[in-house]
Amino acid sequence: MSHIPDDLKYTKDSEWIRMDDEFTATCGITDHAQEMLTDIVFVELPEPGMEVAGGEQVAVVESVKAVSNVYSPVSGRISEVNRALEGSPELLNGDPYGEGWMFKIEMKAPRELDGLMDAAAYAAHIESES
Amino acid sequence: MMRRTALYEEHLALDGRMVDFAGWELPVLYSSIIEEHAATRTGAGLFDVSHMGEIIVNGPGAKSFLRRMIPTRVDKLAPSRSMYTCLCREDGGVVDDIFIFMISESEFYIVVNAATIEKDLKWVRAHASNDVEIVDVSAETSKIDLQGPASLDILTRVLADERAGRLERFEFFHAEHRAVRLMVSRTGYTGENGYELFVPNDAAVSLWRELLQAGEEYGIKPAGLGARDMLRLEAAYSLYGHELSDTITPVEAGLNWLVTSADDYIGRRVLVEQKEKGAPRTIICFELEGRGVPREHCPVLKDGVEIGMSTSGGFSPILKKGIGMALVKAGTLAVGDAFSLLIRDNPVPARAVKRPFYAFNG
Repeated sequence: MSHIPDDLKYTKDSEWIRMDDEFTATCGITDHAQEMLTDIVFVELPEPGMEVAGGEQVAVVESVKAVSNVYSPVSGRISEVNRALEGSPELLNGDPYGEGWMFKIEMKAPRELDGLMDAAAYAAHIESES
Repeated sequence: MMRRTALYEEHLALDGRMVDFAGWELPVLYSSIIEEHAATRTGAGLFDVSHMGEIIVNGPGAKSFLRRMIPTRVDKLAPSRSMYTCLCREDGGVVDDIFIFMISESEFYIVVNAATIEKDLKWVRAHASNDVEIVDVSAETSKIDLQGPASLDILTRVLADERAGRLERFEFFHAEHRAVRLMVSRTGYTGENGYELFVPNDAAVSLWRELLQAGEEYGIKPAGLGARDMLRLEAAYSLYGHELSDTITPVEAGLNWLVTSADDYIGRRVLVEQKEKGAPRTIICFELEGRGVPREHCPVLKDGVEIGMSTSGGFSPILKKGIGMALVKAGTLAVGDAFSLLIRDNPVPARAVKRPFYAFNG
């Protein structure tokens, strides 16, 4: 069973988002997502400053066996990306909710979070897909 | 309904992640492709490749039939020896790439790709004369590949047969093991020394377990299709449907050494001409110099002009970079030449390199 922290929100594509303050959030892919991908060897990150819509593709994660798109959970402006992943993509496998964070976003409309899943709903979602 | 090998339950018990491969439910990995790849390069990997096909060609006309079917000198074979070759079409394209094991002057055991079993049977039956019998034994045969530097040590622990240690590369023998007859061949698809074991389905589970147990102290791991694909790519072995196909000839695939027969085989005119005068396209090996992972079907650009397409690609754990093979217009890329590979519409710098990426280690 993969790890699903209670304090995060989730998308059906297995991204997570954590509010850092009222308007800024950190995003990444879930433990379940990295387990499905296994050995991650390449990460393509968005450019800081980029304006994105919720559900828009912003990054690419490639494992030895597969490529997977990463979508922004919410709308806003990318404020920071985790450059450490470019040299050490395996951080995504080892610590997807910590050192493996992917990007920070300044949210346009924090109420978009209401449309995302909580931990229990996400757990049920991945259960239904397996 | 997907087909399952005799080892299906073993894969589930080992936590194999099952995928559809040519209609077969097989593990792409168990724990990690990188770990399974490393185990095979340093100790041993154990592969279930029972989906592959086995066809027996039998009868007084068997040898002359094969002379007609393949571009490689059949005289290269002798009883207890095997060789790699292909079945070619009249236009030089490849029906399938195959391994032929010579049992006797009148009996040959042919190993073919899973996805092409029916197509191959149709092809050989259409060309077989009355003095040749074609028997498909795929459904009752399991194939277990034991590959890696420790494979001989592991094999001899399981199989008390001194012939194993004397086997030269491409040689094989039949052995009795726990009252079951199995075929042991020193061949493989990984770039490591290794053995391919052909057993009746009902003996597959016990042999699989014995090998895993005997290999424990050598770091053996069950290895899935993902590791197998990367191992063969590093060794620059062709994969049917990628570097070889109905529309890619063995000469284009860089397998000139298969075109050696003086007999009147199917495809001879085209293949001999390509071998002498050059083929219109050629398979090259490349490394990615920029970041990323090349996959198949990425366009190859030189000076902004598309000259071909990648046929295989992946991330090499040995080289720690993206590697691949590509089919390009002949004469456009020499070893050392730089070019761009278009990955998701982004040009990524790449360079043509010497074949193979990983020299045979055995």
